[in-house]
Amino acid sequence: MKKRLIALLLAGTMTLSLAACGDTNDGQSSSPAESQESTQESSAEESTQEESSQEESSQEESTPEDAPPADVTAFSEAPMLADLVQAGSLPALEERIPTAEDVYVEQVDAGGNPLEIGTYGGVINLLGAGGSWGLSRPVLESIIHYNSDGTYYANVIKSFEHNDDYTVWTFKLREGMKWSDGEDFNADDITFWYYMCHLTDYDTKKSWPALMETVDDAEAWATLEKVDDYTVTWTFVNPKFPADFIENGDFKWCWAPSHYLLDMIPDSVYVENQYWEKTGLSDEQVLLNAQAKGIDAATVGDLGKAIAYYWWNEDGIPNLNSYVLTTKEGNNSRDAQLCILERNPYFWKVDAQGNQLPYCDEIHFNATSEEGQDQLMFRSGELDIIEVAMQDIASLLADLGDQAQLRELASTNWGSYLITFNYTCKEENYAELFKNPKFRQAISICVDREQVSGLLTEGFLEPGQCAPQEGNFGYDPEWETKWTEYDVDGAKALLEECGLVMGADGFYDFADGTDFVLTLYTYTDSGADAAFPVFEQYYNKAGIKCATKDIEVSAFDTEIDNNDWYAVLGPHTAIGGVSLKSRVQPFVPIAQSAEWYGEYGTYYGTGGQQGVAPEGDMAKLIEIYEKWKSTPDSAERDQYTLDIYNVHKENLWTIAYLKAAGAYSLVSSKIHNYPDLLVSDDLYQYQNIIHYWTLFKTE
Amino acid sequence: MEENAYKEKSMHEGAPKKPLIQAVGDFFKKDLVQYIVKRLLMFIPTLLLISVLVFFVIQLPPGDYVSAHIAALATEGEFVDADYAAQLRADYGLDLPVHEQYIKWIKDIIWTPTDSTYYRLYGSHHNWKYSFAYGRDVWDVVDDRLGLTILVTAIIMIFQYAVSLPIAVYASTHQYSVGDYISSIIGFLGAAIPNFILAIVLMYLSYKWTGNANVGLFSQEMLQNGIHLYNFGEFLKRMIIPILVIGTSGTCGIIRSVRAQMLDEVAMQYTLTARAKGVPERTIIMKYCFRAAINPTVSGLGGVLSSLFSGSTVTAMVLNMQIQGPVLFKALQAQDMYLAGAIVMVQAVLVVIGILFSDIALAFLDPRIRYSGGGR
Repeated sequence: MKKRLIALLLAGTMTLSLAACGDTNDGQSSSPAESQESTQESSAEESTQEESSQEESSQEESTPEDAPPADVTAFSEAPMLADLVQAGSLPALEERIPTAEDVYVEQVDAGGNPLEIGTYGGVINLLGAGGSWGLSRPVLESIIHYNSDGTYYANVIKSFEHNDDYTVWTFKLREGMKWSDGEDFNADDITFWYYMCHLTDYDTKKSWPALMETVDDAEAWATLEKVDDYTVTWTFVNPKFPADFIENGDFKWCWAPSHYLLDMIPDSVYVENQYWEKTGLSDEQVLLNAQAKGIDAATVGDLGKAIAYYWWNEDGIPNLNSYVLTTKEGNNSRDAQLCILERNPYFWKVDAQGNQLPYCDEIHFNATSEEGQDQLMFRSGELDIIEVAMQDIASLLADLGDQAQLRELASTNWGSYLITFNYTCKEENYAELFKNPKFRQAISICVDREQVSGLLTEGFLEPGQCAPQEGNFGYDPEWETKWTEYDVDGAKALLEECGLVMGADGFYDFADGTDFVLTLYTYTDSGADAAFPVFEQYYNKAGIKCATKDIEVSAFDTEIDNNDWYAVLGPHTAIGGVSLKSRVQPFVPIAQSAEWYGEYGTYYGTGGQQGVAPEGDMAKLIEIYEKWKSTPDSAERDQYTLDIYNVHKENLWTIAYLKAAGAYSLVSSKIHNYPDLLVSDDLYQYQNIIHYWTLFKTE
Repeated sequence: MEENAYKEKSMHEGAPKKPLIQAVGDFFKKDLVQYIVKRLLMFIPTLLLISVLVFFVIQLPPGDYVSAHIAALATEGEFVDADYAAQLRADYGLDLPVHEQYIKWIKDIIWTPTDSTYYRLYGSHHNWKYSFAYGRDVWDVVDDRLGLTILVTAIIMIFQYAVSLPIAVYASTHQYSVGDYISSIIGFLGAAIPNFILAIVLMYLSYKWTGNANVGLFSQEMLQNGIHLYNFGEFLKRMIIPILVIGTSGTCGIIRSVRAQMLDEVAMQYTLTARAKGVPERTIIMKYCFRAAINPTVSGLGGVLSSLFSGSTVTAMVLNMQIQGPVLFKALQAQDMYLAGAIVMVQAVLVVIGILFSDIALAFLDPRIRYSGGGR
């Protein structure tokens, strides 16, 4: 009885939270942009440009109205920093932050909700930072920041503008802004990054499309010029539209601390430029210099990647983030049991009352080695924020009561329990079958989604189709329910229409009598291996013989890359991943990354040298994408995006059985300003949208 | 007493009792030195063979570190182009044929010349290469956890032997008594319950009773300030669960095997004879039976050094202990082959050394064991 009551309560809570999520996304599309244009930031208009407003107002936008809101008249700092100033080991606050006109005033969260003025001190305890990006997610300060509705505003830079024909982009910097070690941050750090780290490919990311173009059929790179200490321009030969430049998700930073990194740039990578000369250093000498600074690298390639790309993972390298990696031995590595980020005393953001951010002293990353330890540690107060799976929410909240708050980041994926097929399969009969929409329809309708929802998610995820989820751009109720009606007989009829013939064993064969086996690849820990038995029974009922191959993720990717696969359950790169109208790339076969387009993407990515030339509607996607890329008009771009979506709706190259799962976090009630109902996406850098520098903790 | 001593002596006629130091001296004088030298020479081909096996087995899974790394990046939303992957492979030498990679690897471990960049960077002639996943020199990564691993494992082992040997002797000398049954039950339970389940249960109980799950060996405070006298108590408190979990499972095994051996020995003719001659029971048990009964345990000590080095992997992961085992696990998962290779290689060396030690110890315990002229 008690169990049932809890289950009911839980179902109620979940429904409410899911409903709320949908509503809010709608609501967010108007409110934050409006509210933020007036309040988000000091540098008035240009700082919270919405795409369209920014395009209309080209040329000069940032002028005298760049004044802090009237209420920020004086600045204050954390007591621990005030003590250091008192002791003479740190300059006064006014010397550490940008000028009053250029300092960044943070007043709302990414959802547009006003922030609570916080108190200083305390530690935010997080789970260990996995992966190369783990330490950067909560704290990375990038060129622009997105709101959860896809609008964006200048962040590290004070403003960005373009000329009429989009060939020159101008970045203005904030006067008086400092690196975390107190050195000035200015245009030299940008020319240094571009000419010494990026164009040299020392950061291994010379391939960033934001700074590349095609001139005379060859790859060319933008010309960067320093206009003055606080202004730089990027000049292209062809128009460079916002979608391909400022909105390109990869283009997150364009600076590096020249004063710290210069002695780690070897001559072997040097490219001629007007701003920086050769350093005269050999490969070995830079490795020795790096070692003297505590940076361990086996090769110059590793060193470049470490200091010019994953720079947040090396202690000592100054940066512009709210928190910087401690230099304290034992806590200064992302692999440490306890990795510590400390407050950046030179951080350039303040709250509405002029209090320098961040509020908390430190962020601690506590490594664990097994699933479930995080929940134990959260219960005992050792962690303040954890991610939780849907099915664990109820029991945790029931135990913790008001000590914890549930927060949701909506997903931008197009569904869950996805299956996609290899349309460029080496075996011709399989490829032909997969390309037939009737086959995909049969695969879709032969599964009872209601039952799957109950069996695999305890009813948490509703039945759905592979389509933009409610609240996202392009949401279409008709699409969401396309081919979702459970109908085994209908599925069998469709399979027969595809030319399959029922064999003596009760399973369909190809017309030539050869066995048809649907081999579903899954990768270990994707959860799909556990879901397979559920789907297998439905497929079998419809006369489809199936098998599964569960392999380690790297082996899985290798087989996908080698085109050695038939179908995948739970693709590694699921379709979706973006709610924004501004990023259509995930829905077009242009790279070697997603399973749903397989070798078609390789074809585009390698300029036709490898892969399989797209045909039919796949080719149509590319056509529309080329048009999308070459228009500066955002309304027109939206229309092209919808055209692309329509091709997807027509074809359903990937089938989803349930709606997409959001990301849920449990946050200690001691933590304030942690927003709810934002969106989790790569473009937003996942948790970065939480704005950790505004979180504060009360006991 | 006098009488007893006489009787005891009379058991080994022609073998008068020698002082211990002299016994040890004699022991080492015989064919042992020759034996040790021979064994040490045997190390070279053995270890080379092991290194070949290690290197090739680690390379067996499809893909390499670069593909694993790219897959990991993809889950973080970062996509890497094929050129960069090829560049990485070339930088790390992963594009070479496997046998060339092996030769380069083993050559650098054995001797890296003074005029190499590696020597100038690290000042060492033994280049165990670079851990891709940690972005550091392999030996640095291993060294990080070595001290702690040895400390933790040593404490646990001392606990194991200190607890299990007396219980085993008690259980065998009091066969079918209540104490024997209780120790048997506990022993079987301990052996039957998987370590990781026991660990989870104990962590849960710890959380329920104290509000703290004691996940990990260190508190945040210790991780920042290190272990000192003032927080050593807290450290020991956090050692309770690992000791109970890892210690009890090993304990059970030792109790069962020593008890069984003891029962065999107690029933032997020589025991009966000794008892008939009036040798005190305590001497019979401790000096004769026990010494013979721990033979299998001692021969099992070969693996001790190696487990001191690596610790218990699964349990360490469940308990979030910062010892070597989980590092090896992570390295294997990420196909961080030089790190995995180094750990497995060191373990292999330690097993080989451990077996030599246990053989020597066995010979000391049981004079019937000889080193040469097999087939006796």
